[in-house]
Amino acid sequence: MADTVRLDAVSKVYGKGQGAVAALREVSVSIPRGSFTAVMGPSGSGKSTFLQCAAGLDTPTSGTVRLGDTDLTGMNETKLTRLRRQRVGFVFQAFNLMPALTALENITLPLRLAGARPDKAWLGEIVRRVGLEGRTNRRPAQLSGGQQQRVALARALATRPEVIFGDEPTGALDTMTARDVLALLRETVDDMGQTVVMVTHDPVAASYADTVLFLADGRIVDQMGGPTSDKIAERMTRLGAWK
Amino acid sequence: MAVLTLALKTLRHRKAAFAGAFVTLLCAAALITACGMLLETGLRGRVAPERYAGAPVVVAGDQYVHQTVHKSNGKTKHKAKPIAERAWIPSSLTQTLRRSAGVREVVAEVTFPVGTSGGQAQGHGWDSAALTPFTLASGRAPKTAAEVVVDARSGARAGTRLRILTPAGAATYRVSGVTRQALPTQHTLFFAPAEARRLAGRPGQVSAIGVFPKTGERPGLAAALRGTRAREYTGEARGAVEFLDAEQARVKLVSLGGALGGTSLLVAILVVAGTFALSIQQRQREIALLRAVAATPKQLRRLLGGEALVTAVAAGAAGSAAGIALGFWLRSRFVALGAVPEHLRLVVSPFPAFAALLATVLAAWTAARLSARRAARVRPVEALGEAALPTARLPWPRLVAGLLATAAAVVLTLVLSTLSTEAASSPVTMLTALMWTVAVSLLGPLPARAAAALLTLPLRVSRTAGHLAAANLRTGSRRLASVVTPLCLLVAMACTILFVQTTMGHAAQREVAAGSRADYVLGPQVPGSAARSLRGRPGVEAVTEVLHTSVRVGLTKYGAQAVTTEGLMRTTDLGVVAGSLRDLGKDSMAVSENAADRLGVSVGDTVRLTLGDGTPATLKVAALYTRGLGYGDLTLSHALVAPHVDNPMGPLYVAAPGLTRAELSALVAAVPSVTVMDHARAVAASAPDAEVNYVAMGLIIAFSAIAVINTLGMSTADRSRELALLRLVGTTRRQVLRVLRLEALAALAIATVLGTGIALLTLTAFATGMTGSPLPYIPPLTYLGVLAPTAALALTATALPARLALRQRPAEAIGGRQ
Repeated sequence: MADTVRLDAVSKVYGKGQGAVAALREVSVSIPRGSFTAVMGPSGSGKSTFLQCAAGLDTPTSGTVRLGDTDLTGMNETKLTRLRRQRVGFVFQAFNLMPALTALENITLPLRLAGARPDKAWLGEIVRRVGLEGRTNRRPAQLSGGQQQRVALARALATRPEVIFGDEPTGALDTMTARDVLALLRETVDDMGQTVVMVTHDPVAASYADTVLFLADGRIVDQMGGPTSDKIAERMTRLGAWK
Repeated sequence: MAVLTLALKTLRHRKAAFAGAFVTLLCAAALITACGMLLETGLRGRVAPERYAGAPVVVAGDQYVHQTVHKSNGKTKHKAKPIAERAWIPSSLTQTLRRSAGVREVVAEVTFPVGTSGGQAQGHGWDSAALTPFTLASGRAPKTAAEVVVDARSGARAGTRLRILTPAGAATYRVSGVTRQALPTQHTLFFAPAEARRLAGRPGQVSAIGVFPKTGERPGLAAALRGTRAREYTGEARGAVEFLDAEQARVKLVSLGGALGGTSLLVAILVVAGTFALSIQQRQREIALLRAVAATPKQLRRLLGGEALVTAVAAGAAGSAAGIALGFWLRSRFVALGAVPEHLRLVVSPFPAFAALLATVLAAWTAARLSARRAARVRPVEALGEAALPTARLPWPRLVAGLLATAAAVVLTLVLSTLSTEAASSPVTMLTALMWTVAVSLLGPLPARAAAALLTLPLRVSRTAGHLAAANLRTGSRRLASVVTPLCLLVAMACTILFVQTTMGHAAQREVAAGSRADYVLGPQVPGSAARSLRGRPGVEAVTEVLHTSVRVGLTKYGAQAVTTEGLMRTTDLGVVAGSLRDLGKDSMAVSENAADRLGVSVGDTVRLTLGDGTPATLKVAALYTRGLGYGDLTLSHALVAPHVDNPMGPLYVAAPGLTRAELSALVAAVPSVTVMDHARAVAASAPDAEVNYVAMGLIIAFSAIAVINTLGMSTADRSRELALLRLVGTTRRQVLRVLRLEALAALAIATVLGTGIALLTLTAFATGMTGSPLPYIPPLTYLGVLAPTAALALTATALPARLALRQRPAEAIGGRQ
């Protein structure tokens, strides 16, 4: 399996001089195509910075980030934006959608801004998959939290991105709704061959992934394949104690 | 196209956020349209002739002084400026014109001011009645010197006796006939031809000659007019020569319209940039999301520009329509104040509305461009819910722009302190105050933060509300700055506009108070004969006849007073510093120090100038004096000026310490409508009339006030979530309102200090240039009259949206969209 996302010795330092804080320290990792990866770690471990650097939302202080064959380091903001809207999808914890647009308009927003014509059949397919049939004309304020996350997921899928990044995508949802959204993410990986990277602090959410990366103090300290929520919780507890 | 669609959708969804910008742009468009109408009337306004309506061609004097300016690049440019009084022409021209080709008949006319019990009227000879034409409805033409014909509106009948005041004195006339007609905007009186020429007091001269051509022929007058100062007027140009006041009002309208329009445009850019910046700050997360998932910085700028354009087009269209109504209202105010004559109609064309629309769109686009810089800096990471704390430091382009604005303001202030004419300093004064405000708005967060730190101490006195308010001020220094800017603008503009007038008025009054030695002032119109008879009366020590006119040196206008020199020291002390007024005669003049500086002359030099009616004169400077503000730039002799003004009747300064007011009044009882003012009242009445400026600039103040309401309203409405949170953690409604009130008061305090500071700087520079003393005159009550409504406005604009926000149940509000 080829790598979709590859980080090589990525460091991120905030601030300068005495007040400088290293959020990431020489992190190297490969995310294989068609995999579901969860990134876990205690608060301040650098998981948000990891996601921002990997997704081209922020530029690392040193090291290289690759998406497929493209080197993200050294790209300017406009190029990064084009790359994000064509090759990367996002699902954030909250405030994912433009309140002024309907669900369907939100889904097609990246396509429209890229000047591309939405593929009707593909749109119908993803709307059906995320279970939003008949609700695409509603505005975000008329949708429940779970439905809003489904719209966000549909938007992420609309451009057929190489990778979808999720930042606590279920963080603001109740357990039942969260389970539905996670199952949906799992489906996109299994049925559509999508690559998903998700930052979370919830062991149950992480248990839906193929691989869990544990971050602490800006470093990847462990990796777990075939995770269960119990194993993850136990590992996290040790991480907290170990720290 | 996708971007524009998105802009439209956002607009429709967030109407409230754009309401502020919409209202501001609407007001700006209305103001600019109204100013444009005044400006266009000034440039293209025509007056239909009334009295000359019956004469196809009118020959009258050239009402302009001309000069050919040689430019440095070798080109020459012809410049003409209007003169203040009517230019008369030789009556001998009548014969020459009569002999010209194609002329059937010529009618010469004299015009002079007449005072009747019914008000001011124009006097003419009955021989020129054909110019209108006037015809008799009853009675007969005046035959003797003691007969007059009155117009249809006067209400008098043949046989009535009228007491009439003319430049030759007051006399009683018998009405011999009444005309069928009356002119729309003037009262007319006809005398017997010889009597009319005697009363006009200009032997050998006429004010105009009407030319009636032979049927179907064009009269050839060019040969007859060559080498004279007379010109041929046809069509609506006859109206311009009939109503000289309309020409002067047009010049005034051009400068007023230009200054007012320019100021409102600058204020609009400043205010709209502020509202846009605030709305971008409030939409930070939305913008971050757009940046994260899809939009490049360029697309974002296009989106914000698109929103601005749509808002501006809608607001501009509505505002332009409202502006036309505003233009008519402004004109009616100016007519009521006497600044614009009633017969000068407003020019109504689509140009001002289109210009206003264009200016509004440009202003909005500029404002959007300026604030989009901030939006493009929003980091996409903020969509991840990172703490969106605004950066504490000012971005360096803004810092540089702020410093540049400060430098520009300093330069303007220095320039202003050297300007000594009202025409030059009025626009620069507004520009200086505005430039300081721009500097404050750019560097705003710096003083806001400093002030917030300072205000923390007094606020802490109140335990809960004060503590919270202090915390909010410290962390929200950017929001504080955006609220302070319009408040500061309001205070600075209001203070500058009001106190420029009081400073000038006070300086002039002070000079009059110091220079006036007269016990009484008689006015407003006293004929020379009355002055002469008063001089011989017991108890009257000195009588000075005074006229006010303006002359031009080259093309530059100077206000001038003309005085009789006999006993002048007893009635007026001009503050002579060099030379002597004893030498003031028909070939000399006295010059104020200020004007002498501008002219570069001193005692003994000669100055070539053009008198009010276009007559050239070369005068020797006999004296320099200090009190130019109170008495005018130039002082000429009455004997020189009286034959060259439209109205040779003016006020009298009388030194009569032994007489009471009643006794003096009795002495002039024979002269109709003369009032006697004592020293103090005369001084009080000498303040220049500032109402026209108040009306025009009052609109700018109102505009700034609307900006305050917008910004405060937007800023408070945006905090509904924060207020809900405060309520949820146990703050009472009353406490929340108290927090907001304290914050508004803090913003008000900062804005008052900054705005007053700006006004003081500007006014000091203005006073230095105009009055020679750096002290502006600021009546405390007027100052309070600025601050109290500003405070009321700020508190109301905060409290109303806050009450609305608090009406929502806190649990719902906090769940709502951010």
